[in-house]
Amino acid sequence: MLDNIIETQDLTKTFGAGVAVQSLSMQVPRGTIFGFVGPSGCGKTTTVRLLTGFYKPTSGTLSVLGKPPTDFLKSDREKIGYLIQQFVLYPDLTVWENLNFAASLYGVGLFRRGRLNKLLDFVELRGDKYKLARDLSGGMKRRLSLAATLVHNPELLFLDEPTAGIDPLLRRKFWDYFKGLQAEGHTLFITTQYVGEAAFCDLVGVMYDGRLLMIETPDGLRRKAYGGDVIGIRTNEELRFEHRQQLESLPIVRGKVKIVSDQEIEVIVDDASTAVATLLEWSQAQKLTVAMMEQKSPSFDDVFIRLIETEVAHD
Amino acid sequence: MIRFFKFLIRLSSFMGKELIEIFRQPKLILTLVLGPFLIMFLFGLAYPDQGRTLRTTFVVTDPNSIKEQINTFTRSFSSSLVNYDIETDKVLALEKLANNQTDMVIVIPDAPLKTIQNNQQAEFLVYHNEIDPFQIGYIQSVARIYVDEINRQFLQSMVDQEQGDSKSLQENLEAAIIKTQAIRKAIPPGDVTTATQVADLEKDLTDLHEKLTTFRSLASGVVVSPFSEKVSGLFNVLLSVTGFFAPAVIVLLLQHVSITFASLSIVRETRSGIMELFRVSPITAFETLVGKYLSYLFFGSVLAGVITALAVWLLKVPILGRLQDYVLAVVVLLFASLGVGFLISLISETDTQAVQYSMLLLLASIFFSGFFLDLRMMKEPITYIAWSLPATYGIRLLQDIMLRGSALPLLVFLGIAAIGIVLFLVDWILLRKKMESQYA
Repeated sequence: MLDNIIETQDLTKTFGAGVAVQSLSMQVPRGTIFGFVGPSGCGKTTTVRLLTGFYKPTSGTLSVLGKPPTDFLKSDREKIGYLIQQFVLYPDLTVWENLNFAASLYGVGLFRRGRLNKLLDFVELRGDKYKLARDLSGGMKRRLSLAATLVHNPELLFLDEPTAGIDPLLRRKFWDYFKGLQAEGHTLFITTQYVGEAAFCDLVGVMYDGRLLMIETPDGLRRKAYGGDVIGIRTNEELRFEHRQQLESLPIVRGKVKIVSDQEIEVIVDDASTAVATLLEWSQAQKLTVAMMEQKSPSFDDVFIRLIETEVAHD
Repeated sequence: MIRFFKFLIRLSSFMGKELIEIFRQPKLILTLVLGPFLIMFLFGLAYPDQGRTLRTTFVVTDPNSIKEQINTFTRSFSSSLVNYDIETDKVLALEKLANNQTDMVIVIPDAPLKTIQNNQQAEFLVYHNEIDPFQIGYIQSVARIYVDEINRQFLQSMVDQEQGDSKSLQENLEAAIIKTQAIRKAIPPGDVTTATQVADLEKDLTDLHEKLTTFRSLASGVVVSPFSEKVSGLFNVLLSVTGFFAPAVIVLLLQHVSITFASLSIVRETRSGIMELFRVSPITAFETLVGKYLSYLFFGSVLAGVITALAVWLLKVPILGRLQDYVLAVVVLLFASLGVGFLISLISETDTQAVQYSMLLLLASIFFSGFFLDLRMMKEPITYIAWSLPATYGIRLLQDIMLRGSALPLLVFLGIAAIGIVLFLVDWILLRKKMESQYA
């Protein structure tokens, strides 16, 4: 059974009259990758700062590693790794010196050379260990920061936009690192503006304007955005208006049919696995030759936009 | 045990980091070491151990009448002190002064003897073109010495003349005494009254003769200036200008370097955002501060060692006191200066602000620490400012230990140590506040 490494209830943080985080309630199970997705300025970093104890909450309760961050002892802090959004290490120190500094900060024993080298291998910076940090590229700096975050082998990692501003190839590599860390038993709380990265997470929290809209699995998010599974149908014949009307009247179909082209449509159903048979039967009855029928996976960009639009419309 | 070990490791994080950052800048270190040494060296070359040479123009109506006196006068000063020329036209002389062709114009009074005989002082007019109060004071001193010398010479010549004139008077007195003795012998026995009167007269004449003999036997210089002075210091050390200023320069440099490094240290970290990382990590404000103090203390001590060695071996600046006292004084100076620097760092919001505060403090230290002007010349309320600066204590400590050979002045040492401790505590509280709830 998974226990929760992070729990919050009605967590609120205000700065003067502005509300940065509003009534945030969530649970993050131990050993998961928890993605915290939302547009810039929606309160992701503030939430991380609340969870790490950098900010004190205005109201609400929170528990990280079983206690409020304000009650953290040194031993609790040693279990946390925190990757800050911007590069904050020392530009005039080398990669190795920066890593050593981070290790000392966490009281890592002096016989740590092996571990540091292993970490440099992990982030592929071993060949650059004697380079000054100021001479590193943006991606290398990010990797160095990540290594510094991992230097004390923390149980819980807060990674604030670790992939911001780096190229897609490196981003992918980072997510491979994160999966590797999860496999080693770490819990990762990752914020990102790249909603597509939600696909790599076990659970995704969607943040908008200081509010947590929902927490779902990546598939769950899609379903929530579209109201069900999306099935694409392409026929050899032209799909006419009455075909669409008939489809919309089927009990398994939710909402309106989306027209992709004259011969292709997308329908939303409760459960794709059972709906395919019904849709094939309907096609045969209509004397339509099905060239393609498959469950679609809309991009998370689309999912996210749809969720936000729904939220704005609801407001 | 493990907790203590981790505490030491966390301390070492800042010690190592700060030192690496400093030693990664060899040009900076070279400047810090060679800069003050060169300044002291050039300072010694620039200011020889004597007063400023004053180009003096005398204005006199008849140059031949006074030339000998002027020559005598200038010889009585060091030859480099007064380079003189003579003008007959006062306006021309003042023009030379305005054009910076001369430094001082002395107008000799016309017919001074006549003025004196009329029971009036003959006035020497002295003109200068200075704006610096110290230079004006210097010229006034030279003018006073000049007039005193003229007065002395005048009186001496009068005494010489009177001593010469008194010779015939003395001879007359001797003749009178002989005549009186003859009269006394001629008085018939029994005329007691006359005999007594003549004996009294003879005695008076003899006394007068003795006084005149004494007057004539005295050197005219002693008569005119019966007293002279001889000044001796308790510590019989003859210091050059460089030697005197070296401890103060070392103190100012150590204070400034410590304050500048420390003042930039925390403000940079606050602005870079790494403070957020410290807040989340197990490191405490105490460990951070102690780590930083230790690293800068180490660097400052090495710097002090090198500069002192250069000053002692190459500039021949003495350390007459005990070396351990010197080391203690330097360490406590660095400790207090770092406290000031960290305080600046904790109250500044930008690097520029921190540097400005450091420069202001340097300026205050130059003016108020006793670097140039003796603290005893300062008015009392301002001395409180002076004694709030680590440099004031540092200069006193190093001058006493290096130049006087005194033991560590305990009161001064305790004063700066107290400042250092108070600053450490204030810094600790402020850093704790900054690290614990920066935006709470």
